[in-house]
Amino acid sequence: MATVMKEGLGLPVEKTLAYKLQQKDELYKSSGHYWGVKELTLKNQDPIKFEQFYSRLQSAVFAAREKARYVAASPGGREMGESVWALTTAEGDTLAMSLGFISHCAAFPVSVKHMIDNDFEENPGINDGDVFGTDDPLTSGAPHPGDTYTLVPIAVEGEVIGWGCAVNHIMEAGAPQAGSWPVFTVDTFMDGFVFPPMKTGENLRQAKWWDNLWMRRTRAGVMNVLDDKMRLAGCSMIHRSIHEIATEYGVEYYKQACKEIIEESRLMILDNMRSMLIPGRYEGSSFRISMLKGQQQIWKHADKNEMVHVHGVFSIDEKGGIVWDTEGSSRWGYHGFNGYPGGSDVGLFLGITTTFAHSCKASAGVNMNVTSIYHKGSIYNPDTEFASCANIWAQSMQMQCISSSAIHRNFFMRGYLEEAFAPEDSWDGVQGSGVLEDGTPYGFTNFEWVGGGAMGAYPFKDGTPCTWAQHTQLCNVGNSEEFEYLIPPFHHLGRKLEPGYCGHGKYRGGVGQSSVHWMQETGQRLGVTRGGSATSMTTFLSSGMNGGYPAPGVVTVTALDNNLAEIFANGGDTPTTAGEVLEYAKEGKLTGNITSWNYDPPEQSMGDNDIWANAAGASGGWGDPLEREISSVVEDIRIGQLPADFAKTMYGVVASMNELGQVFLDEAATKAERETMFTSRKTESKPTSEWWKEQKAKVESHTIREELLEMYRSSTSFEGYNKHYRAFWNLDDTFEI
Amino acid sequence: MEQVDKGLMKQLVEGHIADDDVNEMRRMAKKDAARFWTYLEVLQDKVSWNNPILMRVNDHLYIVRKGENERVVKCDCGHEYGDYRVNWKLKADIRVRDNQEKMEQVYYPAAAAPDPEWMEIREFYCPNCVAQLAVEVVPPGYPLTFEAFPDLDRFYREYMNRPLSDESPEWFQDKTADYIATL
Repeated sequence: MATVMKEGLGLPVEKTLAYKLQQKDELYKSSGHYWGVKELTLKNQDPIKFEQFYSRLQSAVFAAREKARYVAASPGGREMGESVWALTTAEGDTLAMSLGFISHCAAFPVSVKHMIDNDFEENPGINDGDVFGTDDPLTSGAPHPGDTYTLVPIAVEGEVIGWGCAVNHIMEAGAPQAGSWPVFTVDTFMDGFVFPPMKTGENLRQAKWWDNLWMRRTRAGVMNVLDDKMRLAGCSMIHRSIHEIATEYGVEYYKQACKEIIEESRLMILDNMRSMLIPGRYEGSSFRISMLKGQQQIWKHADKNEMVHVHGVFSIDEKGGIVWDTEGSSRWGYHGFNGYPGGSDVGLFLGITTTFAHSCKASAGVNMNVTSIYHKGSIYNPDTEFASCANIWAQSMQMQCISSSAIHRNFFMRGYLEEAFAPEDSWDGVQGSGVLEDGTPYGFTNFEWVGGGAMGAYPFKDGTPCTWAQHTQLCNVGNSEEFEYLIPPFHHLGRKLEPGYCGHGKYRGGVGQSSVHWMQETGQRLGVTRGGSATSMTTFLSSGMNGGYPAPGVVTVTALDNNLAEIFANGGDTPTTAGEVLEYAKEGKLTGNITSWNYDPPEQSMGDNDIWANAAGASGGWGDPLEREISSVVEDIRIGQLPADFAKTMYGVVASMNELGQVFLDEAATKAERETMFTSRKTESKPTSEWWKEQKAKVESHTIREELLEMYRSSTSFEGYNKHYRAFWNLDDTFEI
Repeated sequence: MEQVDKGLMKQLVEGHIADDDVNEMRRMAKKDAARFWTYLEVLQDKVSWNNPILMRVNDHLYIVRKGENERVVKCDCGHEYGDYRVNWKLKADIRVRDNQEKMEQVYYPAAAAPDPEWMEIREFYCPNCVAQLAVEVVPPGYPLTFEAFPDLDRFYREYMNRPLSDESPEWFQDKTADYIATL
């Protein structure tokens, strides 16, 4: 039979990307197996060769990260876990990933599909060693424009056999609000430097205009250009390695082995899911305030406060894979907390990939075992192409933690307690821009409380501080000196754990951490904001684990025009956590314009000696706090992780600490206090059925603040959740919420 | 370690297990499928009543078989919450923290406490032993969250290969709304 050539490409049709993508999808749909691979032929024929082959692929991406990251200047890319390199198939399905934020494997096929669907093979052409870049949530699967991707096609005799891919979180995204997670955005045109997949270089070299764009359109151009070179350096290494491997093993072996790798891992990950999960229906939610009223005077349609509702139901499909349905989550809005399905998946897979892609090859096999449902019109799938996605992470990490909570409840229910914990981690990023005294402008992001937070409590022990990052295995809060060096006016007056700041319970969550940033040499101008997860107006998730309290949201405290200079002159102590800033203010030791924000503050114009303090990274508790062993409470007081006054209201433990740090337990008073607390549980509670009737009356009389009613109207605009809400409150269809 | 024995499981359940043992469990290449049965044995030994535990859903709550035809939620103290297909929270007691003072009793520092203008803290207690079973921090008017509704029939048949004797498609039907309609 004569070979059918693709006109204009000089390639047989079956070697084009468009054909491969179509075939892959059709074969999976018809057979239920990746590329229709029902037998792992190569593996079975010579398993040693097969494993050696995969080892070579894995080594290529690991080596890429370990070398290329030193090209970067930004600490997020170089020393923290804010990057990943990967090798994908021609269709964008991940084969191997480096250390780093591996859930981004969900984005690669979105970019590749966009290029295929838009005939990039013909124009501008997809050739060996070309360089493509993107950060557009709509077209590339990027969660937000702060995450920037590089993709390099690997082609043999014109046929693309794979892509070297990289992504890292850059220092500054070029939006009106400086930093990399803008909050005060209205639509995509305020998201910063957003670009759909585009060819930016050839022969493993970026075009000069590309560097110029970074320099002109972002406030940290040098950092961003170096990050771009970092990504490309790693992709170039992967490109070279894969050419060597394909030559050594032969292209046909390479292509078939790649298919078998993904099918093998798909099956093994499915088996991991079946061996750990319990079919059923698991519900969860969280909330995230968008407080823009009064701050969007130019754009009236965005000048409002919205409580964003995140709702999800986790269930198991017929094969044992995961189904994640976000129905009931709010409609998209004129704020930055939206995303599109690809980026939403990157959020969702934070927990799923790291939990289930173990003891096997971590590949796109994990993605194939999950069905994510993002309803059209919602914050995860806006029915407009212009929605702002500047900061989907402001709520999508909560979304993924709802899913992870279901997973960890499953572990608990099945007896795998050693794996079960309360998966919560409020995160915070401080960002902004300024102009130095000599006129040099700059933009920045401080990633420290993004890089790591606390582990949640287990059903058998406390969580530990600063040991977990949802998005990466490389939990690392970075070096203080790095951030102080790179962000000129920022200096740490304090950087340590914030006592008492966690979700409490029989076992408490890991305590969160706090920084007190002290501004010096602020030059001509300094503006500071934050981009982070749920503020302390709400908790991180809405449900605690089995009687434990969910983790608190992020605390932000500013102290402007204060008396620090006077304190320094007199040799006085200064606050070292956000909580201490407020204590100092309460005691009159710190004076000035001091504000505790439980929502995202508008940009704060800061000068010398001003303070920006934050507390983040707290995690959730597990179990009834009155079951906590008294000795554990006393120990927490002794090590400074629990204030004695709070120990009394939280745990009913009456103890005091002397000046030497010795803790004295009043056993009789503790016994009496705990009895009082048990009694108050009885006297201050009522049957939930009675409460339900009172609440129903509130719902029916609309005696709930208007923003919350708007939230319910938004969520109930989706048919399934409307049915759920009305059924719970026994409302008929004609009732107007 | 290939299998977790009953003694170790008991230590894990009771929170008195050594970190090294926990780490060994985490390093198991494949989780032991029999763990579920060992878990049930340990839990059954700890309660004073005889209803067979079908699944643990909370530190204190279990789905148990009652007689021939019922599957109910039961607290380890013996209190029963009725049909497991109804969100058990509706049969619990509830206390709501809806002002700053009450919220600061359970969140620290005070600035970390949820905003009572927007949110409320719901604590659910067993009506008998008063154990705190669950906490929700949600806006007023928010429906109760049904945290875990397992498909017992499918789990026992497809995952554990020991089908339950009273299998029926009816068991995996959420009956919460039916119960609410009676309030």
